[in-house]
Order: sequence, then C-alpha cells, then structure tokens
Amino acid sequence: MASVSLYPLASLEQIEKSSSRDDGIPENLEEDLRAFGCKLIHQAGVLLKQKQVAVATAQILFQRFWFVTSMKQFGIGDIGMGALYLASKLEECPIRMRDLINIYDLLLQRTADTLAAQTTNPHKGEFKYVPMSYFGSTFYDLKDALVVAEMQILKRLGFHVHVVLPYGTLVNYLRVLGLTSREDVCTRAWGYLNDALQTPVYALYPVPTIVSAAILLTTRLLGIPLPSKLPNCWWELFDADWEDVWSVCGFIMRLYRPRSLEDRTRVLGMVSKKGVRQWLENNSLSRTI
Amino acid sequence: MNYVQLEKLGEGTYATVYKGRSRTTNEIVALKEIHLDAEEGTPSTAIREISLMKELKHVNIVRLYDVIHTETKLVLIFEYCERDLKKYMDAHGDRGALDPNTVRSFMYQLLKGTAFCHENRVLHRDLKPQNLLINRKGELKLGDFGLARAFGVPVNTFSNEVVTLWYRAPDVLLGSRTYSTSIDVWSCGCIFAEMISGVPLFRGRDNQDQLLHIMRIIGTPDDRVIRKIIQEAKADNQQQPKQYPRYPKIPFSQVLPKASPQAIDLLERLLQFDPAKRISAAEALQHPYFTSGQLPYPMPPAGTMAPPSFNFAHAPQHPQQPQAQHDPQAQAQAHAAYMAQQGMPPQMYPAQAQQTQGMAIPQQHQFMSQYPQQYAGGR
Repeated sequence: MASVSLYPLASLEQIEKSSSRDDGIPENLEEDLRAFGCKLIHQAGVLLKQKQVAVATAQILFQRFWFVTSMKQFGIGDIGMGALYLASKLEECPIRMRDLINIYDLLLQRTADTLAAQTTNPHKGEFKYVPMSYFGSTFYDLKDALVVAEMQILKRLGFHVHVVLPYGTLVNYLRVLGLTSREDVCTRAWGYLNDALQTPVYALYPVPTIVSAAILLTTRLLGIPLPSKLPNCWWELFDADWEDVWSVCGFIMRLYRPRSLEDRTRVLGMVSKKGVRQWLENNSLSRTI
Repeated sequence: MNYVQLEKLGEGTYATVYKGRSRTTNEIVALKEIHLDAEEGTPSTAIREISLMKELKHVNIVRLYDVIHTETKLVLIFEYCERDLKKYMDAHGDRGALDPNTVRSFMYQLLKGTAFCHENRVLHRDLKPQNLLINRKGELKLGDFGLARAFGVPVNTFSNEVVTLWYRAPDVLLGSRTYSTSIDVWSCGCIFAEMISGVPLFRGRDNQDQLLHIMRIIGTPDDRVIRKIIQEAKADNQQQPKQYPRYPKIPFSQVLPKASPQAIDLLERLLQFDPAKRISAAEALQHPYFTSGQLPYPMPPAGTMAPPSFNFAHAPQHPQQPQAQHDPQAQAQAHAAYMAQQGMPPQMYPAQAQQTQGMAIPQQHQFMSQYPQQYAGGR
C-alpha cells in the first residue's frame, strides 16, 4: 500500500536539529510560541464559527511547519492564519479571506493591547477594537502575508497536507475499554486531545499513541483502574508503547504548569517575526556584554 | 525551467495545459500551469491534485512527475497522454461506440486504476470520459484529481457538489455527504455503458432531471431505499422524500443491444441505485466478464494489461526510439510478444489500424495533427 493514508511525522533529524534552535531561539521559547500560535488559531476558529476539524487540521499543519522552518523566518501569526485558511480548503469548509483577515487583525490588536497592559501601561482602559481603515494598507499587508504563508506551508511541507484527526479513534478506544457510558471520561479525554493540539505531539507520534495518552491522563485523574501490569497493559491493545504514551502525557501536562508573568508576557511580543528578531537581538546583546 | 514549452493542449477552468519536452531526457510531458490567484491563494483543486497524485503511482493513473512552484504560478509536470477517452471514442469508435475488446481492455484498466485509488483511501469523485486519458500504447489512465479527496475514519461530511452531473451517483443526487468509494463505481458503470453504445447513458439537465433519467432506465427503486439514502444523507437542506414516478426497470440488454450477457451482468452490478449494493472496483475486476471471455483473452498479470491491438501497427516507427528502453515501453513490447505467443496476431482489427493511420489528416483531432512536430522534436 502506498502512503497516501499515512500522515507524515517529523524525522529524528528534524527533531534533533530544529531550525529555530539554529537561529538561537531556545527550546522553551519555541514551545511557548507554538502553543500561543495554536491558541490564536483556535480563537480565530471560534470567532469564524469554523468547524473543529478545520481548526485542528490547521493546528497540526502549523506544528509540522516549525519542524522545517525557523521562527526567525516566519511569524507565528502569519503562519497560523495561512494554516487555518489552507485547512479550511482541505476540509471543504472554505472561509472568506476578508473574514479571516479581519479576525486576525482583531486578535493581533488584542494581543498588543494585553502586552501594553502588562508592561508599559498597566492602568489603561478596556480593550477597544479599532476596525482597519478603509484606505489603509493593513488589509493588503495581511492579505499578502496570508497568501505567502499558505504557499510556504504547502511548499515546505512538500504538499504533505494529509492529516488524521484523533476523535474517531478516541470513540473507538473508549468503546473497547467500556468507558463510553462515563460522560466525564469522554469529555475529559476529548479535552486532552484538543489541548494536545497546542503541542507538537501530532507531528511526532501516531494517533493511537496520542489517544492512549489522553485516556491515560483521564483515567488517572478520575481514578479509574485499567489493567496496567505486564503482560496485560491496556495501551498495548492499541499498539502504543509506554515510553511514547508517557512522553505525550508529559507534553500535555507541561501546558498546565504555572508560568511567571514574564513568561506569559514574553510571547505576546513575538507574534510576528519582527518581534522574534528583536528578542534575538536583545538577547545576543545581553549575552555578549 | 527544465522543460521546453510546446503547443497548448487545452484550457481548463483554472489551468492551461501545454505539451512540453524535458531538456534532460527529451521526454514528452504535459505541463499544467496554474495561475496563483491573489483573491483565493492556491486553488484547492491544485492542492488536492498534488497532495494526492504524487503518492499514487500506478500504470492506470496519470503520473505526476514534478511540481514547480514560483511566485505567480504552479506548474505540474505530468506524464503525457495523447488524448482523452471522449476524443478517442469520437476518433476510433463507430459513432462513438468502441469494439468489445477495446471496451473490455479500457474497462479493466479503469477499474484497476479506481481500485488502486480506493485501496489507498482516495476518492476520485470526477470520473468521466474527459478525465480518462489514453496514450498511444492504449493504456488508460485516470487523470484530473482536482476534485479527489482522501478518506479515512469519518470525522467530517464531504462536499455534495462533486462529479459531473451525467456521471453522478443517485445517492449523491439525493444529497448524500457521507458517500464513499461507491460514488466512483457508479461513474465507472456510466462510462462502461457509454463505451459500448457511444453515447452517455443518463443525460439529465439538472439534479432532479438526472435522477429521473436514471430511474427511467434502472427503474424507480423501492421507497424504503430512497428514504434510507435521504436519511443517511442527513441533508441539512431538509430535502423531503419526494414522490418519484414509478418507472419499471428496462433490461440493459434492451438499452444496449450490443453488449454481451456478461457485460450486462457487470453493468447491472455497477449501476445499483443503492450504494450499499454496488459492487466494489476490486470485486468488479474478478467478474466473469474479465476472467472468462468468449474470446481467448488471457489476463496478463496485474497492472500490465495488454493494450488494444490497434497501436501495434505504429510500434516499429515510434518517434521516440531512444526511449525504447523506457520501462513501460519495454513492457508494451513484451506484451506484444506475449499476445503473439498466445496466438493473437498483433493486428486483429486491420480496419481499425487503418483508421488510426488515416487519422493524421482530420484537423479536429488536434492531438493527431501534432504527430509531425513530435517527429521533428525527436530527432
């Protein structure tokens, strides 16, 4: 069988040698920027009333993209916008360019506003969205960025845009484990799968492993015992390795760790590649001094 | 670019196709140029076509060799095929109708390519004679994957706006968005009938009219069948189960008097109103129509279906002799030998062979008029 049904995962080399790392972007910063870019995609999807399949597909394409490209070269805002536009075409629920651009304009303004509130001007008033000016260049700039982002995603991923979503698999596995009657289990596991979209796991591990991790986190949290002693381990039913499942759990749980205000603010200023470059400049300066 | 652009072959809604020649190998290719539109970015048809076709490597699927991506356009480099099935039927058929052996060969190859797509979880969704390409070796290849999509664990409903009307399955006409491989099988059935008779089987004007055309021939199905399909369609546009006139089934032997009983039986299984009852492409390949013929018709190994005999007449003076070592070419020659071994003379249909040669003259067959140029290019 040819590999059309298979979805591409990052190679060992791509994982070990990140393009962003080569440009001096530390691992934890890249991780935060990935998560923040995905949050923007998610927010845009909600505001556009776009289907979750398209949003999830966009987030997975977005995660894949950073295994072949450095964040110094493209901004997470632009690529997120391009990924959502592309995914909407792929999932046959296209959105209007104009709508997407307006939404991203709003999100970018809100991000800048939050940043300002947390740093320079803590006592400013509530956020007010200012629609882009009719004769201004904002729309055309964003549109250009969008078209370029879409094309770059296609080009750099070599048109490998096939994505497999985990939801159907989760339903099957819960059925196999006899857990479908527990609504709390279904909801929580589903939630973990969605949160995992903010991490690179969908570009690193096959779907069964990720779904097993979501089930593992859920059953541990809710105290549901499942056979977990050799040779009867439930995840083996789904061809998942313990090490991998555990690693995915780690990726997901890292999202929930408490963060300092500084960490939270840091990413707000780096939605564009300009912000990332600025940060790199400042940091290399401070390092040399 | 590594290719010399030659004459224009055709123009589609979103692309222009040129003939091209590789600077390195001299191979003739088809260049599909897609202009990138600032209004919608990369066309989704192009995205589908590239992402699916570059993985689908099969003799009965047009091969996508390469993609050239520039700022303003995308150029897809495809294997070159002389013409599509529609033009082939116009040129070679008796008022469009092909002889039984050619029909069987093409049908086999069509199902082979379709089965390969389905095996690899790809729906073509736009099978029709214009999208089936025939090369000079008589190989039929599925082309134009602009509407195709991958399918898997269903998480999403699909677009209902697929397949050219005349080849669109009744379940899709009734609003189904959860269709699967059976939608391509229906199209194969329509094409089968069209190759036998020379004219499209169901020629509706619009969605409803198309359904009526289908029912007038294969009969109005049971109300339960229609209700089931509409229910499964979960159509958001609340299409009410309409009352359809009760047409009796007309036997295909009456509609297609030329078809053999086995051809009729296969057609019957392909054109089932209920998608659940439709035969799969893989099963269809096992049908007695292919496996036991009234003619001694040995089935060569998978994927190496012998070309219809008409093109052997050309073989010795093939314009691209340097490429005779090229794999498919060698394969075709091996086949000629194989067929000869089986006691089948290479020129079984001398009348048709003549027709082929005579075809360089009429101007309306643009592909044929290009032969002389190709000869010049080869030297």
